[in-house]
Amino acid sequence: MSARTIRRTMLISLLVLGGFLMMVPFLWMISTSLKTRAEVFQVPPVLFPASPRWENYLDMWNALPFATFFLNSIKLATLNTVGQLISCSLAAYAFAALRFPFRGPLFGLLLVTLIIPAQVVLVPNFILYRLLPDPFSVSGNWIGTHEPLWVGAFLGGAFGTFLLRQFFLAIPGELADAARVDGANPWQIYRYIYMPLAKPALATLAIFTFMWSWNDFIDPIIYLRDLETFTLTAGLSLFQGQFVGKWPLLMAGALVSVIPMIVLFVIAQRHFVRGITMTGIKG
Amino acid sequence: MTSLRRPTTRQGSPLGHEGRWALLFLAPTLIGLAVLSAGPILATLAISLTKWDLLTAPQFVGLDNFAALMSDDRFLKAMRNTIFYTVVSVPLGMAIALGLAMALNQTIRGIAFIRTAYFLPVVTSTIAIALVWQWIYSSDAGLLNQAIGLFGIPSQRWLSDPVLVMPSIVAMSIWQGLGINVIIFLAGLQAIPTELLDAASVDGAGRWARTRHITLPLLTPSIFFTGILSLIGSFQVFDQIYVLARPKPTEATITIVYFIYENGFKFFKMGYATAASWILFIIVAALTAVYFRSQDRWVHYQ
Repeated sequence: MSARTIRRTMLISLLVLGGFLMMVPFLWMISTSLKTRAEVFQVPPVLFPASPRWENYLDMWNALPFATFFLNSIKLATLNTVGQLISCSLAAYAFAALRFPFRGPLFGLLLVTLIIPAQVVLVPNFILYRLLPDPFSVSGNWIGTHEPLWVGAFLGGAFGTFLLRQFFLAIPGELADAARVDGANPWQIYRYIYMPLAKPALATLAIFTFMWSWNDFIDPIIYLRDLETFTLTAGLSLFQGQFVGKWPLLMAGALVSVIPMIVLFVIAQRHFVRGITMTGIKG
Repeated sequence: MTSLRRPTTRQGSPLGHEGRWALLFLAPTLIGLAVLSAGPILATLAISLTKWDLLTAPQFVGLDNFAALMSDDRFLKAMRNTIFYTVVSVPLGMAIALGLAMALNQTIRGIAFIRTAYFLPVVTSTIAIALVWQWIYSSDAGLLNQAIGLFGIPSQRWLSDPVLVMPSIVAMSIWQGLGINVIIFLAGLQAIPTELLDAASVDGAGRWARTRHITLPLLTPSIFFTGILSLIGSFQVFDQIYVLARPKPTEATITIVYFIYENGFKFFKMGYATAASWILFIIVAALTAVYFRSQDRWVHYQ
């Protein structure tokens, strides 16, 4: 074997070993979720429980209304995704294809908000949502409802607008010019030319927004009050507080909450990678 | 076909035809900017000058909140911990990711599978991930203590020893965030023309020389980019603290964002919480500005 082959083999072995180490927490999560209470604290640890205890999942699922948490997370992630796709694509089209005064400075302002940590505006946003009336909520305002967790998504966002604008800029202007000659207005050009062509970028934005919403934690714990409104992350945190040390149940809960994102990632890996390399952001 | 672009002010409006369409397209974004991001930044400044519990009317107190923060030991600890977190996790996370990306930048069968392994933690929620790490770090039969036990190292209290707890949290965060940086670096590496590296080889440049004088300089835009992302992200640490520092963070684990959360939404000290938010904003803005200005000196754009 040449020195080159040896080095290459060593490198690959290291990468595989590293990849395995990266997976250890996930494997440990799966393994623990199927253990009996005795097996959990066994020394040395067992990776494969003698007889997997699937009841842990049933116990976990019934300990708190996890089905409700699931539905809430799906509802909010869907609303956020739809909101971002609509509002960001509209703004991105204006920035990429229309000419208007203060276009540059306005886009600059939007980009600046990209670097402002969201936590800086937690308090003023909370105060704002507290002022907005909601006759159906216990508080009489938006606190305790799902609205603060999705309405903002319909009001644009720096990441999505930036991502889609990059994509729109690559669409040749001649297409729009030809449509304009045929009497198309900007709405029609946006709707029938830009949007269909931007499907890959829209898919990227959709996946990222879904992931952010699904994994969001600080907003749910600030705004939500009742168990029926909780998302999976908020529910999981509550679960953690109630089942201290009951690792099999906690791990079952953690696994159930991450599976949808893992499945989404495996299906749509391409879009994740594109989103990161095009703008490089994860919340 | 420039004649197709009509003069923009013919319709008599100062915005012009396209301008009015633009206003329509931008309406959601403009409202969002005004009420959810740019506006609230200004509101933060105003609220920070008051004492306000949301139940009674706000009281103007001038700069009292800022003065109080400067002598609040918990706030100073929050600053210290956040800075520690940043100083350790940003360079370390970037260096590991850079090495990994260089190793992963090759065509071997199954490389996609390995890349997935490195990326998986990025897409999973910090809450769920931190829960697993809490169990791994557990001083009661936790996996890490059992692993180091094989080498004869005595068990450690990873999450309750004030010296070890922040490094433990940093380690978990690096593990979770590695994938993003790896992907950005990989994209940067794949954009480097192979002819350049081949030419250098022909000229007798060794592996190290090529890395040092070609790969790294051409990768500086990616390094710059991951740097800014990691920097901003590191000032926002919250989720992992919430889970790993149960029931509530001690002086060894509190971070700025947790401090804001606790004062605003546990103690309802809105003025005090926004004063801390404002300081967070100033620090991040200043660091970003300095970082951007530094790029002339070390970032090479092709």
